Amino acid sequence: MTTITLPALIILLIFPGGLFLLASGLVYEWVDRKLVARFQNRVGPRWFQPLADMIKLLAKEEIIPTGVHPGLFVTLPVAALAAALTAALYVPMFGFTPAFSFRGDLVVTLYLLSMMTLGIGLAGANTVDRFSLVGATRTLTQLFSYEAPFLLTLLGPAIMASSWQISQINVYAHNVWWMIFTQPIGFVVALVGLMGKLEFPPFDAPEAETEIVSGALTEYSGRGLALFRIGKDVELVIGLTLVVAFYLGGLANPLEFLIKTLVLLLVMAGLQSLFARLRIDQTVGLWWRIGAVLALIQLLAIIIGRFIGRV
Amino acid sequence: MESLANQKKFIVPIGPQHPALKEPGHFEFTVDGEIITGASVRLGYVHRGIEKGTESRTWIQNLYLLERICGICSHVHALAYALGVEKLGNVDVPPRAQAIRTLVAEMERIHSHLLWLGVAAHEGGFDTLFMYTWRDRETVMDLLEGLTGNRVHYSVNVLGGVKVDVDEKQADAIRRGVDFLEERTKYYMKVVTTDETFLGRTRGVGKMTTEQADELGTVGPTGRASGLTRDIRVDAPYAAYPLYPVQVVTGTSGDLLERFIVRIKELYETYRLIRLILDKMPTGELTARIPRRIPENEAISRVEAPRGELFYFLKSNGSEMPERIKVRTPSICNWSSVINFAVGLKLADMPMVLSGMDPCFSCNDRLVVVNRPTGSQVWTWEELRQYGINYYR
Repeated sequence: MTTITLPALIILLIFPGGLFLLASGLVYEWVDRKLVARFQNRVGPRWFQPLADMIKLLAKEEIIPTGVHPGLFVTLPVAALAAALTAALYVPMFGFTPAFSFRGDLVVTLYLLSMMTLGIGLAGANTVDRFSLVGATRTLTQLFSYEAPFLLTLLGPAIMASSWQISQINVYAHNVWWMIFTQPIGFVVALVGLMGKLEFPPFDAPEAETEIVSGALTEYSGRGLALFRIGKDVELVIGLTLVVAFYLGGLANPLEFLIKTLVLLLVMAGLQSLFARLRIDQTVGLWWRIGAVLALIQLLAIIIGRFIGRV
Repeated sequence: MESLANQKKFIVPIGPQHPALKEPGHFEFTVDGEIITGASVRLGYVHRGIEKGTESRTWIQNLYLLERICGICSHVHALAYALGVEKLGNVDVPPRAQAIRTLVAEMERIHSHLLWLGVAAHEGGFDTLFMYTWRDRETVMDLLEGLTGNRVHYSVNVLGGVKVDVDEKQADAIRRGVDFLEERTKYYMKVVTTDETFLGRTRGVGKMTTEQADELGTVGPTGRASGLTRDIRVDAPYAAYPLYPVQVVTGTSGDLLERFIVRIKELYETYRLIRLILDKMPTGELTARIPRRIPENEAISRVEAPRGELFYFLKSNGSEMPERIKVRTPSICNWSSVINFAVGLKLADMPMVLSGMDPCFSCNDRLVVVNRPTGSQVWTWEELRQYGINYYR
């Protein structure tokens, strides 16, 4: 498989990290919103709507409410976005070789991705607004419920590839059968886990607008909100890349990346419009009673399979 | 600023401005984590003084004012008022007019129930169902517009009859529309009763037994879902309902799911009624003459609004203007069915339970003063005005 390498500074700031990543985050947000809208028989936003939202939010005054720690209030969105952007460096974005890579970068990437959720939870807990506090509790509760099964499902391909390095798993996935066929349970749990991570419906209890307005981010406006939102968009792209790289036969070039991630996004948009919102206790129950058990079964199957294969 | 940890109670306020509420109301839920330990409601944000307003308008002008009490069930308000005034004036309304009134009332029920289904689904985070029901609701809105010229305030009634007639072409359009809606309603029934995530949000939530529902004076589909057989269309048929008998739809379990099922089944019944009315439409005049001055008397008029019993008390003093008009809307009777059962539910259930009774805030708000047994007081207009100013301050 052929891969392309670029100078480090360009990778960091312009392509495929930095600007291009932000832009693609906005494009993927638009695709998601448009698809869900079409599934719901609505017209949906125009292609530049996420960009327009972002510019408008960035241009607006940022109101720091009373009762918060101002430093934390301003820093958290930046930290969350920075973590998401850093995570992109270890992932084969757009089919290119990851900019940086070392043994065990899978674990680091997953933790960097969790920083986003943690940031949102802390941001909610930092304010004194009741909706934010309830939202923060729910965000963190949800984090503890989906994180373990999601991690376990990404562990499956890692064990198969005998590596904890994302680039190596990507190469391995490219050379063998697509792991969606060899580990179907793992794929399903990973996909649903990604939806939980991104707080997409039906896992949107942490930001359920009919109950707690906007959850943990209720008090955020202007720049902080913009950074959180674009951070989430970036996380969407990275999450899709990870699942595609692991389960859908890896990524070797930009075209493959585009087709595979968009197909996955189409499936996710369909799932988003199919269900009613789960209560937070139902979410936790679902993950620990079904998600975790399924992920463990998959893991056991892989270990036993490898054992039999060796004998 | 006092720390929240030091407060004994953690209160989640919902309203008067909140994404869950399309009309202003204020709810305070005391929560322990996600579990609700106390609930209270405060209404009165959209009090418009309509009852007082009717006393300075003529009987005919009031028809238009009272139709605007509610934007969803506008026709039944005008219908209840017109029926009451006709009772006071001893006027016999032609049967064709009564049939058309009934037809519009039933079409309004379709639009109201579909609207509610969408809103309730949205409160539960099921936006796809919300969008679908509201798209299909346009069918009945268009039919009503074709029939009356208006989508919301149909303005069908006049005192003594109706303004609009139904010709064969319109009747066919309505039949086609009803056929389409019946198909869609069957699909929604399937979604509501089989979708696992939706069932998880509705089954066993906000359960109310028949005795409790009776004790709290619950009316309409909310009460019928708990097994109360209370339907004015059957108990005291008005307009053309004696000609077109209605089957009461009741449920047993009294939870949120049952309220969905009862309302959807009521839609089936409504489709049947509309077809029956169109097939057996009486012929004849559309209006009867009614005197400008209504003789001195009192009358009570009750109709079944989409949300339950709508009650009008009318008192005339022999002049062109009424002495007193008292309106009791179904939403106000149903609040206790929500607030009394909130404790122990999850915070996430509350928007759905609230919308489960199909609240209509604009017709709720009224001034009530409870006199002590020792004495009564008479308020002048100026005192009343001052009270209002102080209340909202």
